[in-house]
Amino acid sequence: MEIIGIWVAAFLTLCIYSFLYRDNPFYRFAEHLFVGISVGYIIIISIHQGVIPLAWEPLSEAISALWAEIVGTTTPETRNALWGLFRILPIAIGLLFFARLSSRHTWLIRYPIAILIGFGAGVAIPNVLQANIFAQTRGTIEPFAAMNAGTLSVLDTFNAVLIVIGVICTLTYFFFSVEHRGPINWLSKVGIAFLMIGFGAAFGNTVMGRLALLIHRVGFLLNDWMGSIF
Amino acid sequence: MKRQIPLAFCFLFGIAMIFTQFSPHSYSQAVYKEVINWGLIISPFAMVLAVVTLIQTHVTRINLRTEHWQYSLIVFVGMIVMVLIGVPFGPQNSIVEWLYNNVQVPMDATMFSLLAFFIASAAFRAFRARSFEAFLLLATAMIVMIGNVPVGDLVWNKVMSWMPWTDGASWLRQWILDVLNNAARRGIILGVSLGVISQSIRIILGIERSYLGGGD
Repeated sequence: MEIIGIWVAAFLTLCIYSFLYRDNPFYRFAEHLFVGISVGYIIIISIHQGVIPLAWEPLSEAISALWAEIVGTTTPETRNALWGLFRILPIAIGLLFFARLSSRHTWLIRYPIAILIGFGAGVAIPNVLQANIFAQTRGTIEPFAAMNAGTLSVLDTFNAVLIVIGVICTLTYFFFSVEHRGPINWLSKVGIAFLMIGFGAAFGNTVMGRLALLIHRVGFLLNDWMGSIF
Repeated sequence: MKRQIPLAFCFLFGIAMIFTQFSPHSYSQAVYKEVINWGLIISPFAMVLAVVTLIQTHVTRINLRTEHWQYSLIVFVGMIVMVLIGVPFGPQNSIVEWLYNNVQVPMDATMFSLLAFFIASAAFRAFRARSFEAFLLLATAMIVMIGNVPVGDLVWNKVMSWMPWTDGASWLRQWILDVLNNAARRGIILGVSLGVISQSIRIILGIERSYLGGGD
């Protein structure tokens, strides 16, 4: 089974690399198979890690508890499981997504969308405040506490000052409430320089990341696949 | 009614998520967990709708016999095989794992590695130091790439042998990432975060309602 897996993976890898020559039936086959398999896998994960543990299981336990309540065999545990009946509500709201398929009732899709967007916005505000604004600001000014205590080396002090200058200048570049003239213009120009260095670093890292994947695939073809032949 | 009630729901869920995160009371935490679960239950339905749309698109391609329509059948074969095996038996099933490890993961990695060629070709055509800013971008990208590979330090030590430190390429790369890149990234993150918060407040208060679409 393992050797078949290596041959299948090698065949599909070569199919995709054939696109480097030009668009061809092998590439199109692999591309469409990739879409189908990926969608199928997402469906499996959504059902087994979302729908079943969060909706199906609590609901079925609640229905069993409701039956126990009716026939009079209820216990504190089964009574607690009755809360699972509330899971009908998110299922019903989720089903409203299918209103999109009917032209007369398409407006009903606004309900699940509004709930998900409100939910996302509500989750975002405290988390973004905590993880991005407070943590990043703390990370920027924290080295100055060490500097004040005299435990920071000359290079680290220089780096800490450079980071503060970079952050202020980058933020100034995105600050459009005042006209970029005079000192603000100079600060924003320094901000552009920092941004260009940031974009250059991101580009360099992206290229190296893709090259690492390429090396990994070539390594697979040379070692695993060719190794299975010779 | 068709717009006001969804806006009210958006407000309620948004406010509930904010307040419950700041309140340590057990009831508040229970509500928080329940609403998170609601979100996780509702989201897969949106995914199902996306799958339905994908199926509709490919069925239309097959019915109309458009160019390369035969490949739409491959999409269905991949999807149906995964769903038929994976939904009843779960993602831990050996066949699903085999398909994931030998079909999906290799193709995913190969698709992304393919971009290495296109990035290199695009960079070769577009990377020109026409201005000071373009030079900075070019120079940083070069240093980061050279500093990422062992041969970079070898070249650095040969060419820049007059410099006081060895392994200069990897040191310089790390310094750029830790200091200059970090400063730019923090500036961007702070700006984006402030934008996210202001947009979230607009959504919760019903000022931003474009997600409801047109019509009455």
